[in-house]
Amino acid sequence: MKLNERSVAHYALSNSPADHRGFLRTWGGPGTPPTPSGTGRRCWFVLKGNLLFSFESREARAPLGLVVLEGCTVELAEAPVPEEFAFTICFNAPGVRPYLLAADGPAAQEAWVKVLSRASFGYMRLVVRELENQLRDARQSLALHRHSSWKAGTSSCKTQPPDQLSRGLENGHTLSRDYSPMGLVEAGGSRPAGRNLAECELQGAASLLGRGQSPVSPETSCFSTLHDWYGQEILELRRGWRQRARGSQLKCEQQDKP
Amino acid sequence: MRYNEKELQALSRQPAELAAELGMRGPKKGSVVKRRLVKLVVNFLFYFRTDEAEPVGALLLEHCRVTQEEPSGFSISFIEDPERKYHFECYSEEQCLEWMGALRRARNEIQKMTGKDPLEQFGISEEARFQLSGLKA
Repeated sequence: MKLNERSVAHYALSNSPADHRGFLRTWGGPGTPPTPSGTGRRCWFVLKGNLLFSFESREARAPLGLVVLEGCTVELAEAPVPEEFAFTICFNAPGVRPYLLAADGPAAQEAWVKVLSRASFGYMRLVVRELENQLRDARQSLALHRHSSWKAGTSSCKTQPPDQLSRGLENGHTLSRDYSPMGLVEAGGSRPAGRNLAECELQGAASLLGRGQSPVSPETSCFSTLHDWYGQEILELRRGWRQRARGSQLKCEQQDKP
Repeated sequence: MRYNEKELQALSRQPAELAAELGMRGPKKGSVVKRRLVKLVVNFLFYFRTDEAEPVGALLLEHCRVTQEEPSGFSISFIEDPERKYHFECYSEEQCLEWMGALRRARNEIQKMTGKDPLEQFGISEEARFQLSGLKA
């Protein structure tokens, strides 16, 4: 199978940021040089995203090998491997042997195992899915809370929100911003893959609420104010629909022109 | 440079971001357009002869430049030799733009260019991330 090796090597040597680098001993395996058995061969490894490059030395001007880290699991190596601070990279693919690497010490071993475990796009997708579930759960619990506080009146609004929502988020994930899940979406910046409709909806609501308003109902039991407040969201959505409809109408007109 | 070819072949069988039969022309002078099944998986572009299961080749997309050459055609080149182009022919401008967008998004580097770790901004601590590696897909 052909590969654009020159470009790959250029990328390996470029200044593009590396996720991790260091010396590791290797015993051969695809993407690493063969070694005299026993001691392993000490190479300089550089991890960029899902690509693990090996070099003869830090100053080498071409990579020795590349390991593409999709579909792999990384584990601490167990006995009877006599090497200290060793770990293996295992692939699900048929006919691919796992291979063995060893770090210089326990801290390096742990660091490498952690960073290699997270290196694949597959892992990122897993995390994104987990985040989407959390967003959905938090949103549901917010909606429930909004509903109940609207019924109950103003007093409950002030005291309840933080606990209820933070309890809803499990697995030790903490929100560095305010408790509101809307805050998560507002963070903006690069988005992981796997955007879906729910997330876009959330963003629409978030942009409204982000204008300094409390995500919980405004302090009022006055129906008309509440009506206006919820109405804002509807107005925004309607504006969006109209724009899109206008856009697609224009497109149709353009296509009709000779 | 050695690389784990078997694993790369296995990757070419994974679900693709985008896959289609396109006309493809290699960078060498005098090369002709051939029909290829082109498949985008993570940051690799695989291309297959239309009746074969194993890819003819793969392009790692890091540091690539995607350029629209004609309304329904684009090229991929790489930073160290921008005139050396792989050409692709689509059936419509719409398909062409779709592919160009997908290819540009396919890189590891996107995250680095924005300077933001997509997990940090959600307040996911380093520790919590490591826990997630125990999840099964």
